[in-house]
Amino acid sequence: MFWDVTLTLLEGFGGTMKLFVLTLIFALPLGLIISFGSMSRFTPLRWLTQTVVWIVRGSPLLLQILIVYYGPGLMFGLPLLPRFTAALLTFVINYACYFSEIYRGGIQSIPRGQYEAGEVLGMTRSQIFFKVTLLQVIKRIVPPMGNEFITLVKDTALVRVIAVYEIIWMGESFIKKGLIWPLFYTGVFYLVFNGLLTILFGRLEKKLDYFR
Amino acid sequence: MAILEVNHIEKHFGATQVLKDISFSLEQGQALSIIGSSGSGKTTLLRCLNFLERPDHGTISVGGKVIFDAADPTTQSEREIRKKRLHFGLVFQNFNLFPQYTALQNVTLARELMAKEHGGESHESILKAGRELLDQMGLADRANHYPHQLSGGQQQRVAIARALALHPDILCFDEPTSALDPELTGEVLKVIRNLADQRTTMIIVTHEMAFARDVADQVIFMDDGFIVEQGDPREVIDHPKEERTRQFLARYAEK
Repeated sequence: MFWDVTLTLLEGFGGTMKLFVLTLIFALPLGLIISFGSMSRFTPLRWLTQTVVWIVRGSPLLLQILIVYYGPGLMFGLPLLPRFTAALLTFVINYACYFSEIYRGGIQSIPRGQYEAGEVLGMTRSQIFFKVTLLQVIKRIVPPMGNEFITLVKDTALVRVIAVYEIIWMGESFIKKGLIWPLFYTGVFYLVFNGLLTILFGRLEKKLDYFR
Repeated sequence: MAILEVNHIEKHFGATQVLKDISFSLEQGQALSIIGSSGSGKTTLLRCLNFLERPDHGTISVGGKVIFDAADPTTQSEREIRKKRLHFGLVFQNFNLFPQYTALQNVTLARELMAKEHGGESHESILKAGRELLDQMGLADRANHYPHQLSGGQQQRVAIARALALHPDILCFDEPTSALDPELTGEVLKVIRNLADQRTTMIIVTHEMAFARDVADQVIFMDDGFIVEQGDPREVIDHPKEERTRQFLARYAEK
C-alpha cells in the first residue's frame, strides 16, 4: 500500500516539478525584460509595464489560471489551450511580474557611484552592467528570490482548478478510499523539497558573502 | 603649452545655472586646487571635465586639441566621450570601489577590459603594473583584500591607484578626504603630495585649505558658479583681493 501511494504521489510530484522548472526557465529571463520596461525612460512603455505588473500582482493567481484557460474560448470562440500549456503560461506571466519587481529593486539599489566609477574608467554600458553591477544585484536579490521560489513550489497546487495533475490532486484521490495519511505524505514532499531549496539558497548567500 | 584649457563653460540644471562662464588653463605637471563653499559649482566643474555632466556651453581642450565643444555634436557621441574621458581620471569623495573585487582587481579591471577589447597588453603586465601602483600607495600588503576589509584611507588610496592605472593626462580629485575620519586624512594627503612631487598634473577640489596652499601651483576660488579669483595659492589664500574670497576664508578660519 505504502509503495502504491508513494508511486502515485511521485507521479504527481513529477507534474509539480515540471511546472516549477518550466516556469523558472521562462519567467526568470522574462522578468528581467519586464523590469527594464518598468524602468524605461520612455514614459508610455513604463506606464504600460507598470499597469500590467499591477494587474498581475494585484489579482489572484487562481483567477488568472481560470481566465487564461477558459477566457479565449468563451470570449473569442478560440479553441482551448491544452491544460498544462494554459497553466504554464499563467505561471510564467505571473512569476515574471514578481521577479521583475525584485530585479528592479536590486538594480535600483546599486549606488550611482558604481556606474560613474565605471564610466570614468572608460567602460561601456554593457561592461559596467556585466562586470560591475550584475554580481552586486544578484547578491541583493538572492534572499527575496528564495522566497519566491518556495512560494512557487506551493502555488503549483493551484493548477488542479483546471484539472492539471499535481501532487495534491493525487493525494486527494486516496480520500475516496478512506485514507487521510497520503495527504500528510504530500506535505512531506513539499517540506523536503523546500528544505533543499532553503539549503541551496543559503549556500548561494554564503558564497556571495565575501563582499559587501 | 597648457595641457588643459577650459573656455567659457556653462552648465544649467533646469532653471538653475551652476557654472557661469568658467575659463582656466592648467600647465603640464602642475597641481590646481579648487576651493569654495558647497554649492559653489566646484564638484560640477570636475564632473563636466570627466563628462559625468555635459556642459551646455563652452569648450574643453587637452594638449591643444579641442576634445569637447558644446556647439559641435560630433564631439558628444557616446563613443567619442568614452574615448576622450580617458584624458581625465577621477577620484571620488566616496571612493566608489567595486566591492566584489580585491584591491588589485579594482586597479586592473578597466585595463583588462581594454586589453580584451583592443588587444595588446598581457594579463601579466597589467597585474605587474597594478601591483606597482598599489606599492606606490603603500598598499602592497593589501592587494588581495576586499574593499570592506580596508579602512577609508586605504580604500581611497586604492581608488587613486585605480585612477592612475589608465595613465590619465589630468587626475581629478573630488574632495578626496571629506568622507574620511580626521585621523585618516593624513595618509591620503601624503599620497597626493607625493604625486604632486612627481609632477602629476592634478585638479583637486578640497576643503583642506592648508593642503591646497602647500601642494597647489594654482588656486581657483569659486562662488555661486563663478570663478571669483585665481592665481598663486599664497596670493589667493593669504592675500585675497576679492571681498567674497576674504569672507569665505574668514568663515573657514573660524571653524
